[in-house]
Amino acid sequence: MLELFRKYRTTLLVGCLILVALLVYSANLRQRASTTLFERTLLQLLAPVQRLADSTWSGIGEIWGRYIWLVDTAEKNVRLERENRRLQAEFDGVREVRLSNDRLQTLLGFRLTLGQAALPAQVIGEDASSWARTVIINKGADDGVAEGLPVVVPEGVVGRVIRVSSRQSRVLLVTDASSALAVLVQRNRTRGVCRGRGDDLTFDFALRQEDIAVGDQIVTSGTGGVFPKGLAVGVVTQLTREEFGLFQSIVVSPSVDFSRLEEVLVLLPEQP
Amino acid sequence: MTRVLIYLSLATLFLVLQITLFPSLLAGHFKPELLLILVVYLSLHESFAIGSGFAYGLGLLQDVFAGSDLGLYGLAFLATFMAGRSLAARVNTESTLLLLLMVAAGSVLQGVVLVFALGILTDSGIAWLVVLRQLPQQLLINLVAATAVLTLTLRLQRRFAPRVNLPGLQHLGPRRER
Repeated sequence: MLELFRKYRTTLLVGCLILVALLVYSANLRQRASTTLFERTLLQLLAPVQRLADSTWSGIGEIWGRYIWLVDTAEKNVRLERENRRLQAEFDGVREVRLSNDRLQTLLGFRLTLGQAALPAQVIGEDASSWARTVIINKGADDGVAEGLPVVVPEGVVGRVIRVSSRQSRVLLVTDASSALAVLVQRNRTRGVCRGRGDDLTFDFALRQEDIAVGDQIVTSGTGGVFPKGLAVGVVTQLTREEFGLFQSIVVSPSVDFSRLEEVLVLLPEQP
Repeated sequence: MTRVLIYLSLATLFLVLQITLFPSLLAGHFKPELLLILVVYLSLHESFAIGSGFAYGLGLLQDVFAGSDLGLYGLAFLATFMAGRSLAARVNTESTLLLLLMVAAGSVLQGVVLVFALGILTDSGIAWLVVLRQLPQQLLINLVAATAVLTLTLRLQRRFAPRVNLPGLQHLGPRRER
């Protein structure tokens, strides 16, 4: 028996080992969902080594990739940066065109709703002084512009033309202190006069008993002879009723942002 | 003749800066009055005949692009020139500091003339009040602009025309090494 065992020792050992392996495998198949103690221990023991190896290889790979392999990176970078700048400039240009297109579309839509001939113009300059509020537009007498014509944008009233040359005109903004226009409160049709104060306007001649509130929309009354009726002028932002006196003190914030004025419409007189 | 051309070129440049560049660069409505600085300089260094004509002309030029009444700035600039001219004989006109002081005084005087003209002579609503309210800020911005213009002029002169002597501009900016 011992002789037989000796003779087939290797074969028996291999068979036993395979059997053990099969048993271990078979035993583990029943606990597939959980991690065994053996696995856990090994994973824990090898984790630092694995981390070290990983960082070493990553470092080597990085050095290789950044400093040895990429010989022409600097040139590529310069090229890409140049291309990036070009594309950025192109993108900015496209965005500007899109914004301009949006504004002109709005202006066109507004022009159609006006039911009156209107000449589009661009603002090309501002007043040379700090206290007066005028702008220069690129349309003049050659285009049919004349003194006194109203200038508007979709947001509301801009002002009226006060000086005209052949190709340029100067427009007195409604916020200028020497500007005045006939207006009414949209909600209850209270009439008054809006005068410029530099940055905003005052609503004059509103009797104390008139029902005017902050937030009321002020529109042109059409009685001044310059602006058509119903154009937005601004919104009431401040209101004071003194104990004495005939009128209320009302401050109106203009509906047009004059610091961002670019394209305007000059309303032309109707042809007979 | 050359001087006249220089003044005209400067006036044009200053006006273009005032109506196109400054409004887009500076917040709010404040912009330096470069033409006033030129008028103050003229009052200290030009003869009465040429200077007064120029001052009034510059005022009219400004009027075309400012406010709504032609002649308003003509009046203001002429008054500023005359006030400066009457002082020129009594002070050291070669001092740049004086020029800055005169710009400050000129800004105030111009403001007073504008307030008077807008408040009493014309029907411009509360325009005079707007001018009066803005006077301190305007004075400050004019002084800053005057300092900048003088420094820049002096640097340009030293770089491109070192032999040319600009009256009244020799004491500002870095001194030349001897």
